[in-house]
Amino acid sequence: MHIMEGFLPASHALGWYAVSAPFVLAGAARIRTIVREQPEARLTLAASGAFAFVLSALKIPSVTGSCSHPTGTGLGAIVFGPSVMAVLGVIVLLFQALLLAHGGLTTLGANAFSMAIVGPWVAYGVWKLAGVAGLPFAVSVFLAAALGDLATYVFTSLQLALAYPDPVSGFVGAALKFGGIFAITQIPLAIAEGLLTVVVIEALSGKIRDEDRISALSGGNK
Amino acid sequence: MSVGTLDRAASLNHWRHRALAEKALIGFGFLTLALVLPPWPGAVLVSLAILAFTFLGARVPLRLWLATAALPLGFLATGALMLVVEVGAGGLAWAPGGLTQAAELVARAMAATFCLMFLVMTTPMADLFGGLRRLAVPAELVELALLTYRFVFLIADEAAAMTAAQRARLGHSSRRRWLRSTARVIANLLPRALARARRMETGLAARGWQGEMRVLSPHVPACGRMLALVLTVQAAVLLAAVAMVVMW
Repeated sequence: MHIMEGFLPASHALGWYAVSAPFVLAGAARIRTIVREQPEARLTLAASGAFAFVLSALKIPSVTGSCSHPTGTGLGAIVFGPSVMAVLGVIVLLFQALLLAHGGLTTLGANAFSMAIVGPWVAYGVWKLAGVAGLPFAVSVFLAAALGDLATYVFTSLQLALAYPDPVSGFVGAALKFGGIFAITQIPLAIAEGLLTVVVIEALSGKIRDEDRISALSGGNK
Repeated sequence: MSVGTLDRAASLNHWRHRALAEKALIGFGFLTLALVLPPWPGAVLVSLAILAFTFLGARVPLRLWLATAALPLGFLATGALMLVVEVGAGGLAWAPGGLTQAAELVARAMAATFCLMFLVMTTPMADLFGGLRRLAVPAELVELALLTYRFVFLIADEAAAMTAAQRARLGHSSRRRWLRSTARVIANLLPRALARARRMETGLAARGWQGEMRVLSPHVPACGRMLALVLTVQAAVLLAAVAMVVMW
C-alpha cells in the first residue's frame, strides 16, 4: 500500500527519510562491497531489481472482486534476504514512482520504511521462526509472505495516523480508522499473496540452479 | 497501462529535448512549494502553474494524464474521507473542522502529484538517472539503477508474453487458476531473468566491460530565458501565497 505523493506533511516526509536512511545506506554500502568483490553480481542485482518491479506490476485476483498487485515482499525476503531487500525495495519504489506515477518522491522515505524495511524483516523473522518451530515448508512460506504483507499495511496505517491523528481519540483512533478502511483491500491481498508465494517457492525450488548466485547477494559464501 | 506506457510518453513528449535542469527545476521546485506552503492558497496556485507547464508547455496528452491520475486520486479520496469522520466513545461521528483539514490535504496531495506527473511524463527515467550521476550519488548505484532500467522492459515483455499465452489457454478462467498461473509466471521469470543476466555478463566481459554504462545522450544546454521564466513564476507563487496568508 503506497502513500501517494504529497499525502504526508513536509516534516513527516523528511522524518521518514531520516528513519529509513540508515537501513538503505547500510544496504547500499553492502551492495558496493559485493559489486567490488564480485563484479558479475552487478547484473544479477539489476536483473533481480527489475524482476521485483515487474512482479509488483502483475495482477492477481483479490477476494473483494477487484484485482490487485503482489508486493513481492515475502518472496524477496526469503530469496534475497532482508538487508539486500532494503535496497531492491527502494529501487522498486523509485521505479514505481517514476514509471507508473504510483507512490511518490516525497513519500519515498515513508514507503521505503514500511515496504522495504518493516515488511521484509517481519517476513524474514516469521520465516526463520517457523523454521525453528518445525512448521511444514508450505505453512512457513505462507505465514512469512502473508504476515510480511500485513505488517506493511499495519505500519502504513500507523504512519498515516501519526500524520493525521483523530481529533477525539488521537493516534489510536486514527490508526483504527485508517487500518479499518484499508483492511478491506489489504487483508484479502495478504492472503492471496501468501498463497501465491507458496506456489512460487515450490515451483522455484526444483528449478533454480542459481542458488549460489542468490546466496552471494544475501551475504552467504560464494 | 503497461510498464512502458509512461516511459514511451516521456520519450515522445514535446519537451523531451529540453534541458534536464529546466524540467527538474519545474518539477522539483513546484513539488517543494506544494509541500512547504500552506495548502490554501499555496497548493492551489502550484496546481495551476504546474498544469499550465504540463499542458501548455509540454503538451502532455489529456487522456493519458487522466488515466495516470486516477489511481492516486482513489487513494486520496479514501484517505481524505478518514479525516472527515472522528472516532469517539459513541463510535463514528462527523469531525468538526474535518472538512477543512480534508480539503487542505486534497489540495496539497493533488498539487504534489501533478508535479510528479509532470516529471514522469516529460523526462525519461534514464535522463533523471544521468542527472544523478552529476550529483554526489555513488556511481555504482547509478549504474545499478540504469542497468535495472534496461532490464525492466525486457522482463516486463517476457511477463506480458507469458500472461497472454496463459490467458489464451484459459489460465485466468477462475480465481484459483489465475493465482496459480501468476505464480507460475513469477517462478519462471526469476530463473529467466538470472539466466539473462548471466548471458549479458558473459557478453559484456568478452568486450572488456569495466562496469560503466556510458551511452551517448545529446547535451542540451539549459536555456537562460526558460530558467528565468520558471523562477519568476515560482517566486510569484511564493509571494502570492505568503501575501494572501498575511492578509487573512
